[in-house]
Amino acid sequence: MTALLLGALGLTLSLVVPGPLARAHWPDRAPAAAVLLWQSITLSAVLSALGVVLSAPYEVTRAAGSGKPVAAAALIGALVVAGVIILRLVVSLIGVTRRSRVRRARHRELVDLLDRAEQHRELGPDNLRVLDGALPLAYCVPGREPRVVLSNGVLQVLDRDQVDAVLAHEQTHLRHRHEVVMESFTAFYRAVPGPLRSRAPLDAVHLLLEMISDDVARRKAGAEPLRAALERLSDAVPLAEDARADPTGDARRRRLDRLTKPHTVSVGLNVAAALAAVGLLVLPTVILVVPWLDRALDHWPL
Amino acid sequence: MAYMALGDLEREVMRQLWDAGEPLTVRQVHERLRERDLAYTTVMTVLSRLTKKRVVVQQNDDRAYKYAPAQSREEMTAGLMLDALTASGDQDAALAYFMGQLSPDALKAAIEAATKK
Repeated sequence: MTALLLGALGLTLSLVVPGPLARAHWPDRAPAAAVLLWQSITLSAVLSALGVVLSAPYEVTRAAGSGKPVAAAALIGALVVAGVIILRLVVSLIGVTRRSRVRRARHRELVDLLDRAEQHRELGPDNLRVLDGALPLAYCVPGREPRVVLSNGVLQVLDRDQVDAVLAHEQTHLRHRHEVVMESFTAFYRAVPGPLRSRAPLDAVHLLLEMISDDVARRKAGAEPLRAALERLSDAVPLAEDARADPTGDARRRRLDRLTKPHTVSVGLNVAAALAAVGLLVLPTVILVVPWLDRALDHWPL
Repeated sequence: MAYMALGDLEREVMRQLWDAGEPLTVRQVHERLRERDLAYTTVMTVLSRLTKKRVVVQQNDDRAYKYAPAQSREEMTAGLMLDALTASGDQDAALAYFMGQLSPDALKAAIEAATKK
């Protein structure tokens, strides 16, 4: 029974929940707690999978009335599979972290060489780099030596207030170490076998992190300059004819919508989402795993 | 010698190489940076660091080694922007977090159009 329930929970969390949660609009009003909820959903799904692997052999051998050697073999097999799952996640995380670090280091090296920021010292931060080029582009390169990069095009299409809003937004990504959150979700996404894999958490969390940065930037620089910057940065790009329609158009609209309304972060939603996140991790453990462990340890076959 | 951070020096040397439009010897780079009052060996060190970073190529021209940028400033800038944009969840963790959520494909096409000569 335990194995079936944990299996149902794991499948629900990884296949059923992500779609509606990614489409829901309440997280727009509680982005930080929603990120926490996504993390909890993902972790809980992993723990459920491990729970199934460990409890199923025990329950099957007990039900079949198998002898001790069979039960012992089943248990060893279960431990091996659980080990493989954990190993796969760890290897994926190390791989993603290492590749991103190498790539960012190289990118930072080149940005530093191409920098024209000496002409723009008045803009402020030491880690700002300005690239030649009319294409308006603003981004940050996270890491131990982070950089905020603007193209010259950004300085041409945005006024000073809007540039400040963009800088505040990017600095928030860097200060809050958003790349660590993204890397963990990417690592999980890559470690999950094909049929169970879903991009929904990855994209949803990315959008929520943007919203968190928007919220800090609007407090520092005002919602209006930020909204105008967001609108102009996307509008000013000369779209090539063969370019596909913007797949994240919905995400962009959601961010713009939030910025046209008064500040709407909701305490109630934040608390509810945070409670749900904690509950997802604690409740299955207390209700399913602990009683099962209690029974199973009485018949430990090794 | 006037103090200058290594990063600033590297950027300055790259600028000289890009502006020159032809391969330069260490002596020529040193000459161009006269007002910085740098030691000859400092210029040599910076050039060898840039070579190691693969942004400068060393050419053995008769008697002296000459140095040239591996790419023009425009090519390197376009390459960098493309690299920033090709961050995708399938390939790797995103390199950069963007302001503005235009589709990477659209931006990429725009960069390619903008850098085409």
